[in-house]
Amino acid sequence: MKKKIHNPLVKRIPKELLGDWRKYLVVSLFLILVIGFVSGMYVANESMMAAANNGISEYKLEDGHFELNEKADAELLSAISTGEKADVKAYYTDEAKAELDEKFEDEFKAEFTKEFDKNFATEFNEAFAAQIKSGLAAQGMNETEIAAMLPAAIEQAKQNGDYQTAYDKAYEEKYNKAYDEAYQSAYDEAWDDILTEIDEKYADAEEKYELNDPDFQPVPVKLYENFFRNEDEDNNNDGEIDGTVRVFAKTENINLACLMDGRVPEADDEIAIDRMHADNVGVKVGDNITIGSKSFRIVGLIAYVNYSTLHEKNTDLMFDALKFNVAMVTDEGFDRFKSDVHYNYAWQYINKPTDENAEKKLSDNLLPALMTQTVVFENGLENYLPKYANQAINFATDDMGSDVAMGGVLLDIFIIIIAFIFAVTISNTITKESKTIGTLRASGYTKGELVRHYLAMPVIVTLISAAVGNVLGYTVFKNVVVSMYYNSYSLPAYETIWNTDAFIKTTLIPLVLMFVVNLLIILKKMQHTPLQFLRGDLKKNRRKKAMRLPKWKFFRRFRLRIIFQNIPNYLILFFGVFFIMIMMAMAVGMPETLDYYKENAGDMMFSNYQYVLNSYEDKDGNVVTTENNDAEPFCMNSLQRKSDALNEEISVYGIADNSKYVNIKDLQSLQDGEVYISNSFSEKYGVSLGDTVTLDEKYENKQYSFKVAGFYDKSLNISVFMPIDEFRTAFDLEKDEFSGYLSNTEITDISEDNIATVITEQDITKMCDQLDHSMGSYMQYFQVLCVLLSAVMIYLLSKIIIEKNENAISMTKILGYENREIASLYLKSTTIILLIADAISVLLGSLVMSKAWEAIMLEYSGWFTFQISPVGYAKMFLFVLIGYLIVALLDFRRIKKIPMDQALKNTE
Amino acid sequence: MSDTEKNFLKIVDLKKSFGSGETRQEVLKGLSFSVEKGEFCVLLGPSGSGKSTLLNIIGGIDNADSGYISIGGDKLEDLGEKRLTQYRRKHLGYVFQLYNLIGNLNVKENIEVGAYLSDNPLDIDELLNTLGLYEHRHKLPNQLSGGQQQRVSIGRAIVKNPDILLCDEPTGALDYTTSKEILKLIGDINAKYKNTVIMVTHNEAIKGMADHIVKLRDGKVRLNEHNDHKISAAELEW
Repeated sequence: MKKKIHNPLVKRIPKELLGDWRKYLVVSLFLILVIGFVSGMYVANESMMAAANNGISEYKLEDGHFELNEKADAELLSAISTGEKADVKAYYTDEAKAELDEKFEDEFKAEFTKEFDKNFATEFNEAFAAQIKSGLAAQGMNETEIAAMLPAAIEQAKQNGDYQTAYDKAYEEKYNKAYDEAYQSAYDEAWDDILTEIDEKYADAEEKYELNDPDFQPVPVKLYENFFRNEDEDNNNDGEIDGTVRVFAKTENINLACLMDGRVPEADDEIAIDRMHADNVGVKVGDNITIGSKSFRIVGLIAYVNYSTLHEKNTDLMFDALKFNVAMVTDEGFDRFKSDVHYNYAWQYINKPTDENAEKKLSDNLLPALMTQTVVFENGLENYLPKYANQAINFATDDMGSDVAMGGVLLDIFIIIIAFIFAVTISNTITKESKTIGTLRASGYTKGELVRHYLAMPVIVTLISAAVGNVLGYTVFKNVVVSMYYNSYSLPAYETIWNTDAFIKTTLIPLVLMFVVNLLIILKKMQHTPLQFLRGDLKKNRRKKAMRLPKWKFFRRFRLRIIFQNIPNYLILFFGVFFIMIMMAMAVGMPETLDYYKENAGDMMFSNYQYVLNSYEDKDGNVVTTENNDAEPFCMNSLQRKSDALNEEISVYGIADNSKYVNIKDLQSLQDGEVYISNSFSEKYGVSLGDTVTLDEKYENKQYSFKVAGFYDKSLNISVFMPIDEFRTAFDLEKDEFSGYLSNTEITDISEDNIATVITEQDITKMCDQLDHSMGSYMQYFQVLCVLLSAVMIYLLSKIIIEKNENAISMTKILGYENREIASLYLKSTTIILLIADAISVLLGSLVMSKAWEAIMLEYSGWFTFQISPVGYAKMFLFVLIGYLIVALLDFRRIKKIPMDQALKNTE
Repeated sequence: MSDTEKNFLKIVDLKKSFGSGETRQEVLKGLSFSVEKGEFCVLLGPSGSGKSTLLNIIGGIDNADSGYISIGGDKLEDLGEKRLTQYRRKHLGYVFQLYNLIGNLNVKENIEVGAYLSDNPLDIDELLNTLGLYEHRHKLPNQLSGGQQQRVSIGRAIVKNPDILLCDEPTGALDYTTSKEILKLIGDINAKYKNTVIMVTHNEAIKGMADHIVKLRDGKVRLNEHNDHKISAAELEW
């Protein structure tokens, strides 16, 4: 039997791989790095998401929570659990009826008696006199005698009691009759008035709470007590308050915690705290910590299922794992604290929603039920937060989701860039090997065999890189990503799981992209006939004329010709640099943005302290005052700007006349309904002068419209400013009512009980601190990664350019050109393009990043504009340049190594 | 004529081999001859006779294993890489069988590649006229015929007015008529600029227009004679 001869084209592949191993190694490393990282991202993400999703049932995650002013009794809880709306009108009616019944009779009787008495005596006296008169007439007296006798007869009747007896009898008869007649009509009249009043009041409530929603369906829920206390935390026991800790009592029913280290508390002086916060502040199991001036021993580190990010308030722009903590204590431990209990109730739907839309609908139906029930049970709703809107629950998973989406796009773009680099290389190789290809085609090799041969290289390299990248993704890079997530989020423990998406995204799609891009280019190149290949005649248009160039110096024209010759390479270079520069803008700009806001936070606050009071009056009804001369009263209300992407909380301020803190010159001369808005408001939502902004009450169906009369630049928050009197009118406040004090110095003479919150510079910078802590150090690695990526890409492209011109370089060497002159021709042209691409990409990349940042910020509360300083721009420019300079050194070495006999062996 | 001019190009016991061990092949086996300044010298020999290797060594792009070459009294073996580059830059012009033009430069620019290297280059426009390329000066090499490309190659070599013009089978890729035109051009240039021309060819007929004929076979000089009956290129027949 004849031995089968293997396809020589197949046998050539390993040789080619080894022949140019440096290039393939660089490409592979590049791909392995990117595929590995993205694969690690997918695997870590999916595994942690799975852990988070399992945690929903395992750790009994709430479907939402609300807070009441007072502890709810069983009846209220039962009423809320049904999901039925309370009949507020009946409540108002019953309440009014009871009040009417209670008060009407007494009030009516008093009024009626007063009125009756006023007329009865006169009427009775007249009737009594007439009766005496007729008695005297019956005795035969004439008119004159009767007139003379009458006063004496009446006086005698009064003395002998006849008058009183008659009076009483008549009074009783007439009073009762008149009372009975007047009572019912007066009662009916009063009741009618009340009903009219109730109708008006109900109409308001109906609108306010959307009580007449025809789509309303009762949403039965199961309620759980999830009370907490907010306490001061002193994590190093030095007497200084380091932050706030939200302490929950240990429970088995709702919002459980995953134990990451140690154990759960058993004694009243034991505590388990959030794992990430503990890492951040440097405390561990076994340490003591002071919470609410009580000492606790940390026995465990936990991750509460409802606090995967430590958002203190849902409206916080960013979580704060440095100054905010959540903790678990025993019931006895919980009772050791003295501060007010927050009567927080968590709910779970009896009928679980299938998706977020269904969840929103359930939540929308539960809210009116909750509001009406709290009204009829005379409690107050403080806070209402369904799970889908809870940042502390969703931020981490949303963020991880967007990380993966971004990683996927990054990978696609990188693969396309590499695919084009490959394609250009192969195209050049085909040109170089045209005679061989012509010979093979003339010998009977098919176009398909040759296409497959040239396709093999990129596909093999991608396949090997994907395999190695995925192995690293599941091992090394997964751990890198997991540690990044654990550094930002309080996520439960996870198990690595196989990820189909990672396989598709990091293996299948790169292979397909690489295959398609190269197939198209190779097919196009292979269109030529065998004869054209044999003649080396692969140019599209042989007769294409050379472009005329201006009469510049010879070297300058030579370089320009090199640039024209390599336009496709330079285009790829430009797009590659541009794309890397977008990432570089993030790597450089994000820390700068955070630093900028940290440094300028003070300038962006109109006062060092904003004391927001619970009420402008204390418990005894006295106005809360201060002796601090810096203090200036202000009004504030939180409204919402509603949109599909986000319901953003807007602070509306009422500012005192001639305020020393908010310097808006003509604020007091604003017309009715006119306001100033903060620059951040204008920038975020594109609001111009003269525009009208409409804001909503948070839990009421009530809108306010304001016309923008100017902008105020000293407020980082999304805020609205108006004169304090206008504010009081707009929000129906009392004439002297206010929300708190602005002050540049600390106010010490207002009782803690009266202060709801104090906003300081730290509140503004905490987001920056947190972001800096979570991502700051990674940005430096990211910068290095960008430098490496740009260097690798430039290396590959400049290698192509030099290889393409090897004969010409060899030729010029023979003619007597020195290496530095040749480098000046071939490297300088790349340098010029690189410098231009670098400079343009710095600007374009920053612009794109800035726009992307704005788009991202639209989905979050608050507003930070993307900041890059001139130094930052210079850094971006230099980072890519440094990468290039290293490559240029390698290229110079490569030029030096090109032998002179190269030109003698080959022809152009 | 001075002694230096008489022995302007002096080749002394030149040896060169490729490979090692069993595959070692001795290409030049101790060559010696001299060429006068301004002489038109033709190196003849069959394939493998060592003529291209010799030309490369004369051109300073390859080294001999032993023996030496001196040009105008300077031994090439003593020159370092930098000086060799300077030597090629200042003294040599190179014409290749397959032209070796730079594909992305037009005709004039290809000639400027050579002109740039000289402190005192010839006038390029005049040279373009001499070469019959003036109207083609803005064309790219792939828009030219083989003969035209070779003219450009000659123009690039000659523009710096080199002392020695090395021609490696300059007509090897050309048809008969064009070959004769090119040979005429080289002859005219030799006459006009007095460059020493060393032309490698396997075409015996070309020896008719040479001043000096060196025949190589198996790495040795088999014939080294001067031609007293020089004819013009037009008279050549093969």
